Amino acid sequence: MIKKILATFVFLLIAVPAFADVNVITAYPYIKDIAERIGKDKIKVTSLASGNWDPHFIIPKPSLIAKARKADLLIINGGQLEIGWLPQIIRQSNNPNIQSGNKGLLDLSNYVKMMEVPTSVSRSQGDVHPNGNPHFVLDPYNVPKLSKAISEKLSIMDSANSNFYKNNNIAFTKEWMLKLKGWSNKMKPFSGTKVFEYHRLYDYFLARFHLVYDGALEPLPGIPPTAKHLEDLINIAKKDNVKFILQDVYHPKEASKFISEKTGVKVIVMPQDVNAVVEAKDIFSLFDNLVNKITG
Amino acid sequence: MNKISLAVSIFSVLLTFNAYAENEVKTTPIEKEINIKEEPKSVDDTDKIEDKGQVFDNIDDRTLQLNKNTTDASTLTISSPFAQSSFVPDISLILDSSYAYRNITNNAFDGLITPSFRGKAGFPTNGFNLNYAELSLASTIDTYFDLMAVLPFSTSGVAIEEAFINSRSLPFNFQLKAGKFRSSFGRLNSQHEHSWDFTDAPLVYSAFFGGEQLNEKGVQINWLAPTDTYLLLGVEGLQGENEASFGTKGFEVGKNKFEEVNKPNLLVAFAKTSVDIENLTILGGLTFAGGGKRISESNDDKTKITDFDGSSKIYAGDLTFKYFFDSYRYLSLQSEYMYRSLNGINYSTKDNLSSDSEQSGLYSQLIWRFDQLWRTGVRFDMLNKNDIYENTVNINSPNNLMRYSAMLEYNPTEFSRIRLQYNHDRSKYADTNLQPVNEIFLQLNMAIGSHAAHAF
Ligand SMILES: [Zn+2]
Repeated sequence: MIKKILATFVFLLIAVPAFADVNVITAYPYIKDIAERIGKDKIKVTSLASGNWDPHFIIPKPSLIAKARKADLLIINGGQLEIGWLPQIIRQSNNPNIQSGNKGLLDLSNYVKMMEVPTSVSRSQGDVHPNGNPHFVLDPYNVPKLSKAISEKLSIMDSANSNFYKNNNIAFTKEWMLKLKGWSNKMKPFSGTKVFEYHRLYDYFLARFHLVYDGALEPLPGIPPTAKHLEDLINIAKKDNVKFILQDVYHPKEASKFISEKTGVKVIVMPQDVNAVVEAKDIFSLFDNLVNKITG
Repeated sequence: MNKISLAVSIFSVLLTFNAYAENEVKTTPIEKEINIKEEPKSVDDTDKIEDKGQVFDNIDDRTLQLNKNTTDASTLTISSPFAQSSFVPDISLILDSSYAYRNITNNAFDGLITPSFRGKAGFPTNGFNLNYAELSLASTIDTYFDLMAVLPFSTSGVAIEEAFINSRSLPFNFQLKAGKFRSSFGRLNSQHEHSWDFTDAPLVYSAFFGGEQLNEKGVQINWLAPTDTYLLLGVEGLQGENEASFGTKGFEVGKNKFEEVNKPNLLVAFAKTSVDIENLTILGGLTFAGGGKRISESNDDKTKITDFDGSSKIYAGDLTFKYFFDSYRYLSLQSEYMYRSLNGINYSTKDNLSSDSEQSGLYSQLIWRFDQLWRTGVRFDMLNKNDIYENTVNINSPNNLMRYSAMLEYNPTEFSRIRLQYNHDRSKYADTNLQPVNEIFLQLNMAIGSHAAHAF
């Protein structure tokens, strides 16, 4: 009897960790969605941020610390997008796995080519992203690179299921490539269309489909629109025949509406992440929604 | 059944070891080598992924990107293979200056006391003030530790406000902190001045801890409980040299001789927890701080405050409600209450008096960030209990000492802040008479360099 209890105890102690799911924490919902497509039932994924808040300024609530505590793997966007909120969470999580330099931290920005990398930075230029524009997920061609990185990482951490992750990634990538064709076709007629953005969130999306950035409502990154700057934009909009103002979900919309009223330029509210708008339920519908918003 | 479970557990042991062994072999970081081209060959569009650079080259890129002239010969000759500049720690400098107006002179203000409270904060004087230029350095030391140092410069010199290390690899969700640091006592104590919502500390903080809060040499161990709800427990062993509530100096009065107290002299224990209800975050904490109190006044005039030996206990509770309307706007109600009992003997050349005191205070502040750039708030301060018994007789020290504050803040960016604050202070006495003080501060707080993000 004692042997049996002992054996069961040993079984619980050793076997449970061995078979436990990999506990994955992601900075943003889009990473959670990709990770779930790769890890399926072998991993448990929680996102720290929700999609409808400013990704630069996620509120570092203590509840996020409790979430980060459990992580075997923390997957971040990187490129300094989380600099304003995540370092404190990681430090306070008392979780050695996810400290910078350790195996449980995956920085997705390492696997894509960053646009708009400044060769010199000064805060007189506003709250610039010193490593380049970190909103790279909005180039749909980057998504398979991210899924690949996640699948490779999971394969290392949970080598028993390595093939499972790799096969899921291949299946996901195939499905993605098919969707890409559709999106490219739908976007083709909009090549050369000039747009404004509130913040330069959508540059990768614009670059991929050859839309042209013609100004941001923020006079400098992180600085809210000023009356003078809006006047300038109104003039540019009239002169350049700007088609759309790409408004994110979390900034005030008054400035966009103001320009729209003065010029007739259409304001479209674009998601920047999964769950930013209800239609963007996952990584596929995020891009469906982005494309539909442009193509009407 | 017996055998089966045994077999299963042995099997699982083997599996675990196997997994470990495989892990060992495969842990070389392969991330950098990832090349999407290897895989879904069958999909015709895949090649385009690698062509991305070219695609981007075509676009009209109106960006911050500057093009350095790479044909410049100097870029080919300059090389510094042993440069360690990538190991430069995060460095920031925060400059705090203010203009102050007060309805009484600096001298008169300096002479005011908060009856029966030892603590007294430094204060901006009438006119212009350079409050501090705070240099901070932070970096990872190695895989085991982080280091952070905060060095405020003032016109009179440099201080080491904080210099401590943090563990980054302790198991079971423990963390160790050692060096000189702001105690995790209460809500405000561990925050730096520049992240406060008002120019000055709440009355109860300066009354109990003086101008620098509870900031001591020592160690802290904290433990993040394995619960879904945030629960942090911690203990600190500190020197306890803060003389407003503790103190370690020995003294000699007549026949009575006390050596310096054995240090560490102060134990702090705290618990913090937090829950979210939709967009409302509630954060609460309880703290106990207990230690010896030995103070040598060492002045010639032994008639009033005298040398003291005894013990001090502080019990504190804090509660914050913060409601977020969106990423930029919130309403926050933050309150702290502290109760202190001090028991011991006052020694003087004349006589020795037993001295027991029960003192408490609180503050409550409401902050409204109503715009990305603007915040406003009000604060109510009170030292509500001030019972001092000398040889069991209440000396009737005044209680219910109050202060009312209001502030308006403009933050042009995350790195600059302009704050206007008004205080109506009814907590200070000139001898035995209440001296109401009105204060106005116009404060500039500016940060350069890389400064770590603040905690909640
Ligand atoms: Zn950005």
